[in-house]
Amino acid sequence: MDAMEKNGRGDAEFSILDPHGRHREKKELPAYFRDLNLETVLDEMAFNWGSAVRELFHYLPETAEDEKYRRAVYGDVKKEGVFRALEAFVRRTDEAEDLRREKEKVPGTLQHSVWQVREAEVRCAAMMELKEALDREELSSQGLLTFRDILRQKLFSAGESAVRERVNGIMKRIRAFRMVITCEKDRIRVEPGTAAGEYGTLRGEGSGIIKNPFAATPLLTDLEAVCLQVLTKKDPGFFREIREVSDMVGDRRDPLADRFRKEIVFYLSFDTFRREMEEGGFSFAAPSVTESCPFMARGLYDLALACVFRREGKKVVANDFACREGERFFVLTGPNQGGKTTFARSLGQLVYFARIGLDVPAAEANVPFFRDIQSHFSVEESVETGRGKLKEELVRLAPMMEEKRQGTFVVINELFTTAAGYDALIMGRRVLEHFIRLGCMGIFVTHLKELASAHEGAVSLRASLDENRVPTYVIRRGEAEDVPCAETRVKEHRLTYEQLKERLS
Amino acid sequence: MNVCLLYRDSDRPGNRAYEDADNIIRDLGLKALFQDSARRLKTDSGKVLSVEEEDPFIAETMRRVMMIPLSSREEVEYRHAVLKDCIRHEDLVRTLYLISCRTLEEWNMLGRGGREKAQQVNPAVKLAESICALRLLCDSLREIRELAAGEDRESGKPLSEGFASEGFRSFFRRLREVFSEEREREALKVLEDISFFMDGGDGGGYRTIKARIVLECGLEDGLKFSSMKLREVSSESLRFFRPGTTMKKLQDLKYSRIPDSFPVDKDPRLSEQARQLEFSVVCSLAGRLNDFLMPEFQTFFDQLKIQAAFYLGAVQLKAQLERFDMDVCFPEVSDRRTLAFRDLKECVMGLRQRVHVIGNTCDMENTDLLIVTGANQGGKSTFLRSIGIAQVMAQCGLPVAAGVFRSGLFPRIFVHFTRREDSSMNSGRLDEELGRMDRIVDLIGEGSLVLLNESFATTTEKEGSLIAYDIVRALGEAGVKILMVTHLLPFAKRMYDERKDDPASGTAFLSAERTLEGIRTFRMIPHPPEMTSFGLDLFEEIVEKHLDGHGGARRE
Repeated sequence: MDAMEKNGRGDAEFSILDPHGRHREKKELPAYFRDLNLETVLDEMAFNWGSAVRELFHYLPETAEDEKYRRAVYGDVKKEGVFRALEAFVRRTDEAEDLRREKEKVPGTLQHSVWQVREAEVRCAAMMELKEALDREELSSQGLLTFRDILRQKLFSAGESAVRERVNGIMKRIRAFRMVITCEKDRIRVEPGTAAGEYGTLRGEGSGIIKNPFAATPLLTDLEAVCLQVLTKKDPGFFREIREVSDMVGDRRDPLADRFRKEIVFYLSFDTFRREMEEGGFSFAAPSVTESCPFMARGLYDLALACVFRREGKKVVANDFACREGERFFVLTGPNQGGKTTFARSLGQLVYFARIGLDVPAAEANVPFFRDIQSHFSVEESVETGRGKLKEELVRLAPMMEEKRQGTFVVINELFTTAAGYDALIMGRRVLEHFIRLGCMGIFVTHLKELASAHEGAVSLRASLDENRVPTYVIRRGEAEDVPCAETRVKEHRLTYEQLKERLS
Repeated sequence: MNVCLLYRDSDRPGNRAYEDADNIIRDLGLKALFQDSARRLKTDSGKVLSVEEEDPFIAETMRRVMMIPLSSREEVEYRHAVLKDCIRHEDLVRTLYLISCRTLEEWNMLGRGGREKAQQVNPAVKLAESICALRLLCDSLREIRELAAGEDRESGKPLSEGFASEGFRSFFRRLREVFSEEREREALKVLEDISFFMDGGDGGGYRTIKARIVLECGLEDGLKFSSMKLREVSSESLRFFRPGTTMKKLQDLKYSRIPDSFPVDKDPRLSEQARQLEFSVVCSLAGRLNDFLMPEFQTFFDQLKIQAAFYLGAVQLKAQLERFDMDVCFPEVSDRRTLAFRDLKECVMGLRQRVHVIGNTCDMENTDLLIVTGANQGGKSTFLRSIGIAQVMAQCGLPVAAGVFRSGLFPRIFVHFTRREDSSMNSGRLDEELGRMDRIVDLIGEGSLVLLNESFATTTEKEGSLIAYDIVRALGEAGVKILMVTHLLPFAKRMYDERKDDPASGTAFLSAERTLEGIRTFRMIPHPPEMTSFGLDLFEEIVEKHLDGHGGARRE
């Protein structure tokens, strides 16, 4: 089970995102990110965990096996105890990094020694606490089990224990050290030790703690430095020991812990976000990935829209769908403002979050493996490029239809709206047939109702209206139909006797 | 500390303001009351000497407080008692108002409530201002506390013994407790200890004021001063010698014998940093003093200003009403089905038109619906308004312009008065009326009172009657009390025929009195609705007379 031993790799080769520990180069933002409004979702995650998490979401794991590795890790991260432990580890490691940056500003000084000892203390504690917390948890993912084994080996080497002991000893003395400063008659007097009593008035109102006016800079001010000089003369042994311990511990940075810190926030940021959304009443599910079962979801919603609605206290309309044998492409028609684009987005998001190895915004889902996601959303005609809208669309569409894009999931929203109806239908039919032939699955949102019956692999979906012709945002299977134009609604004041009885009851 | 002159236990109203407040103010003409209550009447033995300018703050406060109804007899009586004390000690309530105005004004000049970006001042000035504000607070609080110890002009006894109301007794008692003399001394001691900061080191004459500060701290924060604690602080007055003089050198020599110490006044950076350290200490102490006083008194003066303004407004309003022969009474709170009054006057009309207003007397018990019909120009709308005004005043603890007034308390009051066509209204008038009614129905709830004045007169009488019938019936069944003036006689007649023999229906019918000679007395009398509103009288009086005078044809 120990992946490290099995593969004979070093610590730094361990990755919590990839079972083979591969490093990924920085990737540009995938094209579908904007179309699926995934940026909105990433904003939420970056809000709590910093913008460095963003790029972890920019690439999908390569194989179904990689996806499974991540899903198992995320299954463990969702456990309350594991989440808290990992979160604490990240905070601790960040604290150590802050200390390292402080120390590097003052090389060779006594202050450098103190920062170095503290940094070592925090790094040891971060690893130790994480190991202890993980020991208490039932882990089931290969990723976290391997990481825990590596931690155990590291922490229990003999050298490591000795360092911990000396670091803790000197830190205890530093923390216990006190001195008294007396300002009077234009002089300052400094003595080691404590002073009795507390400022006599207003006792109990506040703790008597005074903010250090020089706290803004981590460096010593002249005043602090002169005070320190007086002290080193009075107690030279203490300050000598600080230097000795610092020289002994040296630089405690660890490539394994560093990489783990960078990567684990992928799971933590998503899980923080998931918890917040669940508190707002939006559900998430771990998708199953059974190839033999149909592609389906129940209670699927647009996560980006939900982010906005949660702030406004509104609910989203959720939808269900399931593919049947041989069905490859959804063709969605319906009235304007009927929820078509939202549904198409939610479908794309479903595939994205399943593929990246996390939970999906639905109550239940089965998502087969897709190699990648592609999207094509109609945009406003661009004045800058000077190309007509149709041309613009075709330029963007062409690379999507290449042979190498087979097996992808395709989201198309309104193609060829500026072309004549006859042409548009023929082009639409060809695009659809092409993608089906490439073994892609996807959704095609369109105004062309004839497209729904253009291919046997196509499933006709419709955005439905209620009896008053008001959009319900519910998407169902159904024959495409002509859409009524504008509907006028008569304002009523609801003041008849019966209406009033009902209103006042 | 809460002021608690408006409510026994809080400075925040338990009830919400009337949802329909804007319409209530507009349709009942309450603005006149707000304005008149904001003007001081200077009199000398009953003779008016002068009327002062309107104080907009008082007018605004009257508007805000009057639009929030009280919810129980106890609350109303609590205010009555305070108000009676205010009437007896008008000077006191005026002084309270003036002290809070002055304190807030000075406090604002000291940068209370933040400044605009352009006016950002340096931290030392800000700190000095906050210390001044603390001094101001102490001074004003002492002044108020000592007011109660003053002498009552009439009885010659201490004022504190002269209060009859729980509100004032408790106010001064709590102030003595919360801002006790001991607490004041403690605050003043701190202000004294940090005076080296405020007095800029000038001790007067040949002396200088210097700080003496003892701090204890650790080094754990990377050898910087960490977890610093204040042990002692005081201001000490030292002999001042000009730098460079022999005396100064001698003084320095003497001080240099302090062991383990170094001078800070020789090196500009050390001297600057020592000043920063002092600043930190003063900041912290000013902050602690702030925490010591501010949580209790942060909004105290705002509240006192508002609450004193309300009672001062009430006292001034009473004087204004009495000036125009409108005597006032403190109303009684009863159940919601009772409405009884003697000589009730429409005071807005009295104040604005300065005419003698006819009072009405009425005694209705177990009544949920009042329908007023009768002669045009007979005073029906004035009558309805007089009840509405008195009801609003009674519900906020004010006296009303009547000999006796007894009614229930309604947390929700709605007015639906016919409006002149307004250029901003583009929907039809009926549509506008129905729209307003729709909104009222949306807001209606437990304990609602609706005043309808000529509602649904914008369509045909037949249609209007049907609409009114449905609405009045449905609202009545939902427990809403309705007082209405109507011209819709088929409606009034139908209600009368259905309900006249059923005393349990809780419906009363009044009519504007018209003598046999056609003279309008402006009094309402119990009377069944008639199929005429005597508009013909007016028609004859105005139109036909006019036509007569111009040689027009006259109808036989």
